[in-house]
Amino acid sequence: MEILQAMMDRTNYIGAAILFVIGLYTVLTHPNLLKKVIGINIMETAVFLLMVSEGYIAGGSSPILGLTKEQATTVHVNPLPTAMILTGIVVAVSITAYSLSLIIKIYEAYGTIELDEIMELRSEQTNG
Amino acid sequence: MDSMQFPLYILLLLVMAAVIVPILMKEFDRKSKVMILGTLAIAWGMSLYILVGVLQSGAYLYDIGNWGAKIGIQFNIDEFSAFMSFFIVSLTILIVIYSIKDIEHEIYRKQIAGYYSLVFLLLMGMLGITFTNDLFNTYVFMEILAITSCAIISIKRKKENYMAAFRYLILNTLGSLSFLFGLALLYMVTGYLNMGEVYNTISDVWQLYPRNILLALGLMLTGLGIKAAIFPLHIWLPDAHSSAPTPSSALLSSLVVKVYIFTLIKVLYRVLGEEVITGLGVSTYLGYLAAIGMIMGSVFAIGQKDIKRMLAYSSVAQIGYIILGVSLTSTQGLSAALFHVTSHGLMKTALFLSAGSIIYYKGKRDIRELNGIGYEMPITMAVFTIAALGMIGIPGTNGFMSKWYLSFAVLEAGQPFYLVVILISSFLNAMYYLPIIINAFFKQGIDNKEKEVSNSSESMFVTEEILDNKQEMNVEGLPKLMLIPMSIIASLSIILGFFPQLVMNIIELAVNTFL
Repeated sequence: MEILQAMMDRTNYIGAAILFVIGLYTVLTHPNLLKKVIGINIMETAVFLLMVSEGYIAGGSSPILGLTKEQATTVHVNPLPTAMILTGIVVAVSITAYSLSLIIKIYEAYGTIELDEIMELRSEQTNG
Repeated sequence: MDSMQFPLYILLLLVMAAVIVPILMKEFDRKSKVMILGTLAIAWGMSLYILVGVLQSGAYLYDIGNWGAKIGIQFNIDEFSAFMSFFIVSLTILIVIYSIKDIEHEIYRKQIAGYYSLVFLLLMGMLGITFTNDLFNTYVFMEILAITSCAIISIKRKKENYMAAFRYLILNTLGSLSFLFGLALLYMVTGYLNMGEVYNTISDVWQLYPRNILLALGLMLTGLGIKAAIFPLHIWLPDAHSSAPTPSSALLSSLVVKVYIFTLIKVLYRVLGEEVITGLGVSTYLGYLAAIGMIMGSVFAIGQKDIKRMLAYSSVAQIGYIILGVSLTSTQGLSAALFHVTSHGLMKTALFLSAGSIIYYKGKRDIRELNGIGYEMPITMAVFTIAALGMIGIPGTNGFMSKWYLSFAVLEAGQPFYLVVILISSFLNAMYYLPIIINAFFKQGIDNKEKEVSNSSESMFVTEEILDNKQEMNVEGLPKLMLIPMSIIASLSIILGFFPQLVMNIIELAVNTFL
């Protein structure tokens, strides 16, 4: 029962770990290049979830001064992870954009975006 | 003191140049070449000034925007970062001078402006990652490096390049993400991202959260291991480094990989500290991986037919040496590792640039076709020979000195087993570098044979004339802008082979900031 309670308290962390592994599994096993990029995105979301959950304090209000009159008594959530994750999201978007443009070029060059078919084409080239 | 701001100025200068150069550069003419080299020269001057300033008046911490260490980004300008940034900028300048002639052959003319923009951003990422004292900032610079280093591969519009760049990008992103995950776990325990603050907190609490810290360290090491191509995680490296344009291969192999090793050293010694690493027993495993990498990298290299691919596999082995030095957790080990960073940087640049010149001039990439090339391209092959002898570890080259330091460090640490590994790896290096040199200088090439057959029917006089022509060709075959950087790098290798103290004195100061 205690374990169950501990797990309930840390749902976000467990969820982040599970999402990370799902993303990793997709990246490593899926032959479709687009799905690899989706897997990368799932992993990114997992890390962002973990980071933002760390900054959350139960019952805390948003860390903006002067938002409420009685702010001296209330607890604020940690704004630093949120700010960092904004940077992280920008990075993630640029990585996704670049990898998608690479996939377009790969499709133009090979005519497919399935990794196993590309490998077959390449081995035919080197052998023949 | 105004020079305190210089680290930030360098980064800003490079970002501005990365934006301005493609706008102003209509044609790849003299003006734009001067602009590119001028920017780099200013950056070089500033990094030299930082180095001299640090050596004279000591290290300092630079808070960006005066936010303070606890929430802001901080640069740590000490002997280590000042020297390594100076090294990075110097080597980049030499490679860029080489690239000005070579790049026209490798990529479309329209892309050249974009290429230099990427090189500036890449240099900024490398310098930033060396300077920074903040973990999240390290991640951001790592992602800048990831995109730019893939882009300078895929800018050569070939089929292989797209696949190599895509694979590199995916693995790079996996590496950054697992670094970020580890960073988040560390943040959970300590509540800081500044390396100094994390170190202070972690030395108190690490016994309370051993599992959390072990997980964080494991994720960070895996991430950096992918990026630094530590042995079992090196699979992206051969494709990426061999298919890239020559200047990119030189940059990637001699500098970008090293920058991740700097981060690895920082994470191990500045964030976690020696006590935690030895307490968790990480360094032992790192040493085993390094030893396997030193052997296996060379074994893979022996089987290669493509010269650039062989050099790429040789990088895997050489990274093993550096990691071995890092894993010894001793002053000698770390200084040997940092010395090998500089000497491998020089040697690998020389090797890639001379291999690139052969491809530029003869269009040959296959090792078996290089017979007799030493007569046609004496300077290039001399550079190649010096660097290759350095890789093997012949006395008189900087490669010998780094092996010498590393061997002493290994013996000092009481692990003579690694000395055997170093020796075996050196023999394996000899096995794939020496045949190239011997074939280049002592075997007749196909072209030479044909010429001699045709010459033999003519009179002596004509033969001499042809020989004269050929000698002229030797000097003129390559543009001077390509020969000069290679010669400078090769002579630096020899100078460091005889006077290693020039670099070693600074490196010993730099190591003191870690241990």
